[in-house]
Amino acid sequence: MTCRNSVILFLCLLAVGGCGKRSSKSSDEMVLNHALYTKITTLDPGQSRDVYSHNVISQICETLYQYHFLKRPYEIVPLLSEDMPQISDDKLTYTIRIKNGVMFADDKCFPQGKGRELRAEDFVYAIKRVANIKYLSQNWAMFDNRIVGLDEFREYTKSCKSEEEVDYSQEVEGLKAVDDRTIVVKLKRPWPQFIATALADSVTSPIAKEATDYYGKDIVSHPVGTGPYVLKQWRRGSYVELARNPNFRGELYPSEGEPGDAEAGYLDDAGRMMPFADKVVWTIIEEYQPAWFLFLQGKLDASVIPKDSYSEVFAETGEMTPKMKQLNIQLKTFVDPSTFWVGFNMQDPVLGKNKPLRLAISRAIDRQKFIDIFFNGRHLVAHGFVPPLMDSYDPNISQRGYAKYDPNEARELLKEAEAVHGGKIPTLKLAVPGTDSFSRQMGQFLQRQIEDIGLELELDFMDWPTYQEKVNTRSAQMFTAGVSASITDAEDFLGLFYSKNWAPGSNKFNYANPAFDEMYETVTIMFDSPERRKLYREMEIMVLEDCPAAFLNHRVAYVLIHNWYKNYKPHAFAFGMSKYRRVDLQEREAYKELLKKVK
Amino acid sequence: MTTYIIRRLLYTIPIVSGVLLLTFCLFNIVGGDMSIEYAGKNADAETIAEIRHEYGWDKPLFLSWDSQFIDHFKNALTFDFGRARDRELVSDKIKRGIGPSLALTVPMFLGVLIISVSLALVVAFVRGTKLDVLVVVICIAGMSIPYLSFIMFGQYFFAYKLGWFPVFFSPELSIPEYVTLPVLIGIAAGLGGNLRFYRTVMLDEMRSDYVRTAFAKGLNARRVLFKHVLKNAMIPIITRVVLAIPFLFLGSLLLERFFGIPGLGYLMVEAIGSRDYFVINAMTYISAILFVLFNLVTDVCYALVDPRVSFE
Repeated sequence: MTCRNSVILFLCLLAVGGCGKRSSKSSDEMVLNHALYTKITTLDPGQSRDVYSHNVISQICETLYQYHFLKRPYEIVPLLSEDMPQISDDKLTYTIRIKNGVMFADDKCFPQGKGRELRAEDFVYAIKRVANIKYLSQNWAMFDNRIVGLDEFREYTKSCKSEEEVDYSQEVEGLKAVDDRTIVVKLKRPWPQFIATALADSVTSPIAKEATDYYGKDIVSHPVGTGPYVLKQWRRGSYVELARNPNFRGELYPSEGEPGDAEAGYLDDAGRMMPFADKVVWTIIEEYQPAWFLFLQGKLDASVIPKDSYSEVFAETGEMTPKMKQLNIQLKTFVDPSTFWVGFNMQDPVLGKNKPLRLAISRAIDRQKFIDIFFNGRHLVAHGFVPPLMDSYDPNISQRGYAKYDPNEARELLKEAEAVHGGKIPTLKLAVPGTDSFSRQMGQFLQRQIEDIGLELELDFMDWPTYQEKVNTRSAQMFTAGVSASITDAEDFLGLFYSKNWAPGSNKFNYANPAFDEMYETVTIMFDSPERRKLYREMEIMVLEDCPAAFLNHRVAYVLIHNWYKNYKPHAFAFGMSKYRRVDLQEREAYKELLKKVK
Repeated sequence: MTTYIIRRLLYTIPIVSGVLLLTFCLFNIVGGDMSIEYAGKNADAETIAEIRHEYGWDKPLFLSWDSQFIDHFKNALTFDFGRARDRELVSDKIKRGIGPSLALTVPMFLGVLIISVSLALVVAFVRGTKLDVLVVVICIAGMSIPYLSFIMFGQYFFAYKLGWFPVFFSPELSIPEYVTLPVLIGIAAGLGGNLRFYRTVMLDEMRSDYVRTAFAKGLNARRVLFKHVLKNAMIPIITRVVLAIPFLFLGSLLLERFFGIPGLGYLMVEAIGSRDYFVINAMTYISAILFVLFNLVTDVCYALVDPRVSFE
């Protein structure tokens, strides 16, 4: 092949696909441009367990209840239900009426492709589907031993050969559609978090059986819901595009919020029909650099602040830089209800029976320095494991000194620990999920802090599956981990220390305290009250005294938005939010000129 | 020749079988129990057992007609790779990713090849001059700069700062629009090493007697370089080039990740990170087959360009 031919071939290859250029968006179309920092794995609400998939699904598939967009403290309000459920006096029976005239989106799975009206049985089917063991849902733990007759239904599904063979008409005593618009759920024991945990979660989003019958296993990429948007295109690992659902009944933008909302412009659209945007596009961008550039170019409406771009956003004084101000970029912050820690395996022969050793490690870690180095000082020190946003958060917990950094005390405690152990403490091993530079630096920081008091610590960096296997099989001695709350109730956090939840359950510490267990069993059936909050706090102290982990930090989210992106009120449980967002197209257009000037 | 090709094709059977055995052992024996990982957080023992049953991981490993290895073998031979962890068909994933990957790697590969071979001929011709030294220095500098730095700088400068190219993939863009910058970055990053290699190859040839004879007979430089030197330098070039072709199928992880190109490099690394056995298995198997086939192509090419090589 001559050189000239090769060049021609090269140019031809570059031109491949040029013919297939898509039409560009019309400028008067309101499009929300978002970034997703990791791939989404499914659009099937019954399977989804990660926040990214939830985020997309919740725009398509609605739930019976949702969090109020503006009110704080967070409040649950009806979405597909007419009202809040009627709860029987014994707190075991929930009767829920669904709204009239709610339609599924048009889809090939329905006769003539026309979406039908939502029925109560669609909710019943969604929950039974999760119970079907052949469906292999990751969400079954939510319903395990909760609803009368549902565990028996699960038992029945074990006898079926495949997912398709399961007969969903089999009755479940505690889960019935008594008519087209009424659902009755009977619980085995009171479940105070039932509405927030299950009925406001995508896992109970109604599923049209026609859709699962039609798409079979491909339902993961063909969600059929009642929400404001429908899936237009999902190129896995690349982008998701949603378009308005013409069958959506419409929903009014809230007219009330918390004090200050009107001044902040969050009530400018009060009473207007939603959704506002015609399209929602999520581009999956796993590297921060391109996401940041796209945001600055105005191709994304909002962005987190990459660690390496912090100085571009904030000046030494902590204020936003002149460049950010010139570009009219706004900062929104909110406490994310999350906690991160260095966990101890309480069944480990060295750590488990040596409280002074665990305390010594906890005292050896300078949490503020950790936050300053790795999160630009933005996170909060975790003095306990219940994050500040929770109902039962104790605002005075910092005074108890559980997160104290005191290397001298740590050295004294280490002497005690050696006496308990009967000699020098052997080298400890910390499992760190992730082999990237951030994980390595974080591990090295913890190693240096712990070794400063005279301990030896080996770091074991590994990929996420290996880490999970290690922690779930109780073979990790120490591990870094964290959890984010999905509801305002701290019950999820308390469950992390319940002995019946030992790994592979949520209690990865394998912590056991009979007194704690007894209290846990009591509080899980108590509805919110001052008495329950008091018990929650006592239980937290009980755990902190035993020190099954050195709690490090609570995340504080910093989000930057462009001035054209309206109704962006930070929300800790932000699912199904696209319907509230609005874009000022003129301001977006004006940004292009502004950018040229600033550049 | 036909006998030779048939014989070589028959050799692929034990090689591919070996690959299948190796991947099977790696994932099913060394890799441990994947069902816990697949079941997700807080799964009960029953769900884990059901996953084992669903994926056939509760069957005997080898010693049965219905063993996991026989299933693995059968599925590979029929190219039935099953569904990935996210329940999408693996074949759909590969079909979707192959276009963007090849749109990135093929022009990159050809660009590097053409530029580096051409430049290598020129610098070999002017060996020992300032230009030669300069090119070698640039090559070494290029090889010393990490690939990631080329990407980050290229993206910052040409896409963000100058705005000549899109920063990232977008559904509105055509393939040439979103692959041009990554291709150019790939060429720039790959040029150093390749140019040095081809320069060495050309220099070896330039010292040969036939080159001196050609010049003595009055042939011009262009004819000597492109007709005689290049032809005689084809063996190492073919070895390097043809054996690199199967890897084009695997895409380019970093470029794909930074520019959002939905290709196979990214898919493979994601699969490794999430222990998506089904995707890794399919990609490894296809790569192995391609590698074996292109090895054969290399040997055939040797004989075609060099009459001294026979099919005996």
